[in-house]
Amino acid sequence: MNAWQLVRVHRGAAAVLALLALTASLLVAGLPRGFEAAYDRALVGALGDVARQQSDLLVGLRPNFSEDELNDQSEFTRLDTEWRKVLPPTLASAVIQGGSSHQSAKTYGTPVSGRIGSRPLPQQYLDLAWVAGIEKKIRYVEGRAPGPATTLPSVPGDPDLKDLTLFEVGLVEETAERMSLPVGSTVLLGNSYTIAARVVGLFEAVDPTDRFWDHNLEVKRVTTRPVPEADEPDVLGVGVIPAVDLPVLDSRRELHYSWVLPVEPTKITARNAPQVIQDILDYRQLVEQQGERNDTGIAQIPAARFELFTGLDPLLTKFLNDLRTAQTLMFLILGGLVVVAFGVIALAVQLLTERTRAGLGLARARGASLAQVAGAGTRTTVLIVVPAALAGYAASYLVPGPITPVVHVSPLILVAATIAFAAVRLALTHRKPLRDTREDLVAPKSSPRRIALELLVVALALGGAYLLRTRGLATDVTELGADPFLLAVPAALTLAAALITLRCYPFPLRLIVRLANRRRGAVPFLGLTLAARSRGATSLPVLILLPALAVSVFGALVSGAIFETQRTAAWQAVGAPARVERAAEIPEDVVAKVRALPGVTSVLPVAKGTVQVATGGGVSTALAMDLAAYRKLVAGSPLEVPEPPVGDGIPALVSANLAAYPSFEIGWYNRMQINNVGSIETLPGLAFESNNLIVMPYEGPKLAGLRTFTNVLLIGGNVDYDVLKRTVGLTDAVVETFDAANTRIASSPLSQTITAAFTIVTVALAGYALIAVIIALVIGAAERARSLSFLRTLGLSQRQARLLTVLEVAPLIVLTSLAGLALGLVLPAALGPGLDLSAYAGIAVTEFPLTFTTPILLAAGLAAVSILGAFGHASTGRRVATALRVGESS
Amino acid sequence: MTTLSDLEAQAVRNRPAFGEHAHILCDNLVRIFKTEGVEVVALQGLDLLIEKGELIAIVGASGSGKSTLLNVLSGLDVPTAGLAKVAGMDLLSMTSRDRLRYRRSVVGFIWQQTARNLLPYLTGHENVLLPMQLAGNKRDARRRAAELLELLGVADCAGRRPGELSGGQQQRIAIAVALANQPEVILADEPTGELDSDTSEEVFGALRRANRELGVTAVIVTHDPTVSEQVDRTVGIRDGRTSSETLRRTSVDGDVIAEEYAVLDRVGRLQLPRDFTNALDMERRVRLELERDHIGVWPATPGEENND
Repeated sequence: MNAWQLVRVHRGAAAVLALLALTASLLVAGLPRGFEAAYDRALVGALGDVARQQSDLLVGLRPNFSEDELNDQSEFTRLDTEWRKVLPPTLASAVIQGGSSHQSAKTYGTPVSGRIGSRPLPQQYLDLAWVAGIEKKIRYVEGRAPGPATTLPSVPGDPDLKDLTLFEVGLVEETAERMSLPVGSTVLLGNSYTIAARVVGLFEAVDPTDRFWDHNLEVKRVTTRPVPEADEPDVLGVGVIPAVDLPVLDSRRELHYSWVLPVEPTKITARNAPQVIQDILDYRQLVEQQGERNDTGIAQIPAARFELFTGLDPLLTKFLNDLRTAQTLMFLILGGLVVVAFGVIALAVQLLTERTRAGLGLARARGASLAQVAGAGTRTTVLIVVPAALAGYAASYLVPGPITPVVHVSPLILVAATIAFAAVRLALTHRKPLRDTREDLVAPKSSPRRIALELLVVALALGGAYLLRTRGLATDVTELGADPFLLAVPAALTLAAALITLRCYPFPLRLIVRLANRRRGAVPFLGLTLAARSRGATSLPVLILLPALAVSVFGALVSGAIFETQRTAAWQAVGAPARVERAAEIPEDVVAKVRALPGVTSVLPVAKGTVQVATGGGVSTALAMDLAAYRKLVAGSPLEVPEPPVGDGIPALVSANLAAYPSFEIGWYNRMQINNVGSIETLPGLAFESNNLIVMPYEGPKLAGLRTFTNVLLIGGNVDYDVLKRTVGLTDAVVETFDAANTRIASSPLSQTITAAFTIVTVALAGYALIAVIIALVIGAAERARSLSFLRTLGLSQRQARLLTVLEVAPLIVLTSLAGLALGLVLPAALGPGLDLSAYAGIAVTEFPLTFTTPILLAAGLAAVSILGAFGHASTGRRVATALRVGESS
Repeated sequence: MTTLSDLEAQAVRNRPAFGEHAHILCDNLVRIFKTEGVEVVALQGLDLLIEKGELIAIVGASGSGKSTLLNVLSGLDVPTAGLAKVAGMDLLSMTSRDRLRYRRSVVGFIWQQTARNLLPYLTGHENVLLPMQLAGNKRDARRRAAELLELLGVADCAGRRPGELSGGQQQRIAIAVALANQPEVILADEPTGELDSDTSEEVFGALRRANRELGVTAVIVTHDPTVSEQVDRTVGIRDGRTSSETLRRTSVDGDVIAEEYAVLDRVGRLQLPRDFTNALDMERRVRLELERDHIGVWPATPGEENND
């Protein structure tokens, strides 16, 4: 039997099957690629967001003895080569040559102990730094580049200090200004082993945004360090010295050597990240093991304790944790998609088997062996499915993204499963040649064995869901990745729901039939009766519709939860539709300008400050604001604002640690007595959750004898971020709007991917559901046409026949949709402990808000589309009256 | 001392076994269709003997078991009990491999629906080739197919597809298909059921030609009097049993004389025609009397009924 001939003869069914194989193959090969690409984008984003200091590798040494000192740049270069040579392979591929690679020797915490020619200033520190290649990164704007160190024979006014090493240093302008060190000034550094440094030039960074500066921030700018119990902070500057000074930069100072090995974020992917983490662990061991016992290690420097500094491994670990949730979700929806896609393909195979049944059955009766018949049918399926799947697989290469094994394996599995299904189905169909069923026999009842098996599946699914709810996962998802149990439960629940639907759907139907029976029209009664009787042929569409809807509803819920939580997070980040905050007071005219902006409905002035609490010590965040107005401002948002404090003196709401004191004193520009009249937990957007909080009326400071002032504006209405920022016009003011915050949270690659994936999958599933219903109808078309023909001879009109067809399939679709909807709504609850969506929302997602609108719309839409498909099929199908021919019924 | 079993053995020893030389033998054939709780007994102990080269018709009302019998004989269905042998092959004890070989080389068949006999997308010639290809008889297959089509008078239809042929032509090609692998028996289930009387005549003619010229044993299930009245023997089936046989012979003056017989089975059971029993109000019991050259059957007398 010629398989190609069978394909040509049954080209309609073959085209359907080919199209399904193509799309399924494209989806199962393309979606994972898209996902992986998004994971990689997310990883690059995560690594790009942090300073290079965190993402690069830095080998550091603090020389303790003169033997550890490196006196020449070539020694730094030699060690750089050594460090690179021993990098483990995966890590080595991510570490780049050049870029911001460099070595440095820097002192740390060297106090300015004196000045020559002027009075020393307190709390000043000046460190010396040699950074390889810095000369290309800076430009001298005053003076000249520092030259080699000389000797300062004596220090005026301090006869003890003689023959000091005098370094020539270059400073960044900002440091020179802040530390009052113009070109030509000389300072004494260190209280012991004093050295001297003379400023010979001032420089600026050629490119301040160069990631090179991430490692040398203190060179580029002046650093201030707040000191407890002091009014002024410490000021720290760094002077640049040339490489020739390395021999005189000795270990008696707090000296640090470092080798920066820059990591290229794009070279690390979601797939090699675990290996990179492992490599960092190994590399750290390699770097740090040296110097032990007689082993002089890689550097060949005895007793030198090298250390590896990097934030890369914790960054990657955190990313992988976030990724696992994404992967679990993707796995769930992809799994659902694969099941549904395969279900529809199986249905199409069934259609093809039905179409070839007569021909192959005749051949079987005429002496074809089972192998010949099944072989011919299977070859036909291969001819249809393989080229189509190959085309889909090829098309998947248009989707940008890395190629993972799953890209090759999933289409292969799909094709293999389809061919196996076709072979088994054909073998079962033609096992006995021309097994004519006798129509005078009733359909066999379900065997007790089958009922027991179904009950077992249902019990296992429910038990699994219960265990998952109560016990949670045995393994830690963050450590070990997705638990198979987590993935098995939804599958089992879907199967159980499908079994229950198939078993139980005649019961509600019976009720409806009874109602229909009372009415005069025969069509509803007949249609529903047919629906109740058509049991056997309907299981596959149920098995397809149910998971399709369950996955769609689940996806909608997860998307909804992410969307809602992102909004909540944005509200919590801003605290109002828009907020302007500044350390200093916001001038009246700015407030007036903001108030006048189009779209602004209200502006709430707030005074915010960090205050000392006299009683019990400690600091608190104090807010002076009109809570009643704030409540009005955020009405309808997820933010909750308590009633304003009412009472004598200065009434205030205080957080728990101050709740014990009915009245206490705080220092906020002035001393003020606060009366505790209630408690407050948090005010998101205005104060961090960890802060202690005191909220008083806006007039609070005035009551204490000060005046009211404003350094925070909470703005109601709808105002554009850029417009607001421009209007405020203060460089030191923080401007935030809800929309900007929400966009920032929602635009992370992972959450975008999830939302996009759910949309694609939902659309694909709806398409599949529609195709499933139509194929099921086409398979049963001949049978239906025959039974309708009998009814037509009894006077059934064409319109009634159409209605009958729709009524025959509608109950099953509606009931399955309801079951799918219910299952989809239950799934998040069942999977609760296994799904952590925090990574996509910015805050912890504590519960899934059950938003019914989208799921119900989905279920209704899917049911409507399917029923419309049935109606369309009934309208365009062959004219039923022609189906009845003499003798055909026997 | 002679025992009962000795006597039985002695009685059988010198007589041939039942239907020993028959080409088709059905002895007490039973076929029960069973699903949970429901049984339909389609054949209830059917006996049938057909000699090699015979052309017989099987008639009977709808549901009498004709088609079941034909399915059993064609190897598509397996009887529940009894004995069925065709060309020496036991249909009850065949393995599936034997059954396949049996279908390939021992029997050929023709169904009532013209469309069901042929693959619609193959030409007449290709349809005839198909069974030979399936059985692996590729040598001379084309020549044989052409010969068969020629023999059955449809050589001109060889290149046409079934959709382009009349019902009669389709059925004659179907006969060629059935004969493709040189079977010993061909079975036809109402081959003229969908045809008008002229075309029926043609198709029956083709069957008879195959029977006479190729020596194939032919069994035709039919309702069609043009068929059943032209064969030498017509077997009637009622309620899953053979009930009557009509034998036809041509008299000296050329008239066809048909004589209908009731069938007496091996244990002496006889089915009386329902018309006869109804006419004489025979119910439950009859009285038999052995006469010199016949057995008389009388309704039970009223007095005897009362004594019951």
